[in-house]
Amino acid sequence: MNKIINEIKIALEPLKIETPALRQIAVVVKPDAIHNSLAYFRQKGFTQLSIVTCIDWIKESELELVYIVLSWTEGIYIQLRARIDREKPVMVTATDIFPGARYYEREVHEFFGVDFLGNEDAAKPLFLELWDDIPPLRKDFDPQAYSDSKFPMRERGNEFVSEFGGNK
Amino acid sequence: MNVMNFVYGFIVLVCVFIFQTTLTGLNRKVTARLQKRYGARWYQQFLDIFKALRKDSTSHGWVFDFGVIMALGGIMATVIFIPVAGFQAFPGLDNVFVISYLLAVGMLGMAMSAAGSGNPWASIGVARALTNMLAYDVPLMIVIFTMIFAFDSSSLSEISAMQQGMGILGWNAIRMPLGGIVAIIALLGMLGKKPFDSFIAPAEIASGPMVEYGGKHLGFMFILHEFMTFIEVSIILALFFGGGATIWEYLLKYAILYTFTNIISGVMPRFKIDQAVKYFFKLPLAMAIIQGLVVIFTGLGVTLWF
Amino acid sequence: MVLDKKDDRNVWEKIGDYFSANSIWMKWYCTGCGAIEMPPTMTSRFDMERLGMGPMATPRQADVLLITGYLSTKTLRRVIYSYEQMNSPRFIVAFGSCTINGGIYYDSYATIGRLDKYLPVDLYISGCMPRPETIMNGFSGLIEMIKKGEAKGWKHYQENYEWYKKNQLDSLGKIIIEDEFHE
Repeated sequence: MNKIINEIKIALEPLKIETPALRQIAVVVKPDAIHNSLAYFRQKGFTQLSIVTCIDWIKESELELVYIVLSWTEGIYIQLRARIDREKPVMVTATDIFPGARYYEREVHEFFGVDFLGNEDAAKPLFLELWDDIPPLRKDFDPQAYSDSKFPMRERGNEFVSEFGGNK
Repeated sequence: MNVMNFVYGFIVLVCVFIFQTTLTGLNRKVTARLQKRYGARWYQQFLDIFKALRKDSTSHGWVFDFGVIMALGGIMATVIFIPVAGFQAFPGLDNVFVISYLLAVGMLGMAMSAAGSGNPWASIGVARALTNMLAYDVPLMIVIFTMIFAFDSSSLSEISAMQQGMGILGWNAIRMPLGGIVAIIALLGMLGKKPFDSFIAPAEIASGPMVEYGGKHLGFMFILHEFMTFIEVSIILALFFGGGATIWEYLLKYAILYTFTNIISGVMPRFKIDQAVKYFFKLPLAMAIIQGLVVIFTGLGVTLWF
Repeated sequence: MVLDKKDDRNVWEKIGDYFSANSIWMKWYCTGCGAIEMPPTMTSRFDMERLGMGPMATPRQADVLLITGYLSTKTLRRVIYSYEQMNSPRFIVAFGSCTINGGIYYDSYATIGRLDKYLPVDLYISGCMPRPETIMNGFSGLIEMIKKGEAKGWKHYQENYEWYKKNQLDSLGKIIIEDEFHE
């Protein structure tokens, strides 16, 4: 595993590299290096893209994209991370390297608002039909307020009478 | 042919309906006991049919409605011709060919109403049902032709009369053993029981031809299913198991035969339709042809030496 | 839950209700997490066929629609036009606390809070999830309700159709969706 870490350091020059658990390597790069990094990993034998997802760092006003690739021959997970701007989040698509990223990018677009250049499917809705608010997994979205406004709840009457006075 | 024949036919219809529906209910209990549980009540099938007849139904045009009525009418007409323990509502008209011909009216009526509903599941189910018919008919017809050749008659009551009087050894299932086995396998195919029930597959094609039936149409389909079961089991009973000299013997043999096929089908999975066709064209067809050759060249299969 | 206890059936409807009560066919479609409690109720240990109930494949053949658990907005659209395809008399039984007041998903942006604003519910079975014994108890209660003529949800839906439609469209927007998965 150290051999792989050294190779990555030489080839990609990441911002940070660490091993959070056994057989897992986390690599942090700049956002414009994501496409080259994915191509490098694919060519090195990490042929399965497990997931593409996103984390919302609202205080630093950044979105962090996470790609996890897996190698079947060595059994090692590589977690590739990059931070992009939160106001206008844009990223190049990974579907030309890993065709299965098509639906993952669609999900990230729907729930976080990230535009993927080159993936023309990404704008179509996948899970949410007729959605009319900001992307729901962002941290400034209030699900309780949305739910109370759209789906009326049952009114609760007197539930019990306390012997110490007053109704609940 | 006078009015009394039609009255006898009507009485036969009502009695057959009550008997067969009760027997189906009891067989639901038998299947349940096979699965280590109590089953439904013995009159549950009556409740199902009357509940279905009481609901509102949705219609898809007159072809849809007419197909159901045509199927039910054709099958009811066939039931009148079946001889029950020597008693026939229309004497002399109980030929095997007449009954096989009229059975097709039921299938065609169901196909017509399935086509009129416009649902693709119905078309798939009807195509599978007709393929199923093709599969089980070939070995069964070879055995029946062999029997007609051996007995010089194609009337159900005459063939069943010829098997009586000699006890159990007179049955055609014992004298033509390969033919008897082919008949029971073909009976499983005709009744649409597992392993040959892929045309009603509920979770696969949403119950096939019956997918758009609700309410009264479904009630008619259930009644149709009861009558068709009666016809098919009666044919096999009369041809291979000696019919019945008295009415009680007939009903007892009928109940035992139907319960036997139910127990076999209760422990089997379901074949795909191409597996069913390939199966019927291998072993049952070979057995039917061997039986035919044995009967043609040596007389009846097992000769009685006493 | 009983909407209206007045019994105004004539003789034929009373006889028909006896048949309907003793042979209920459920639609083989279970939403949400409560669907895990249906197979034990149907199979050998807690046999549902003793009560006369059994599964049927299509909405046209079914009598009762079981809403087992939470309903997301996507599922609610399909359930609505599935319910409208069933033939009357038809019943709805709602399992679990998510149908009563939202359950543990009360603040979710995708699940509804109260089922009986969109569809008429005849019987609620509470629990998260109700065990098969509770479900059998609930079904026996449904049979009693049908025999007494209290399960009138389908009539309520027909008479108050505009009210139900307004609630459905307020919460959902549109019922029938055209997108690439549904032409």
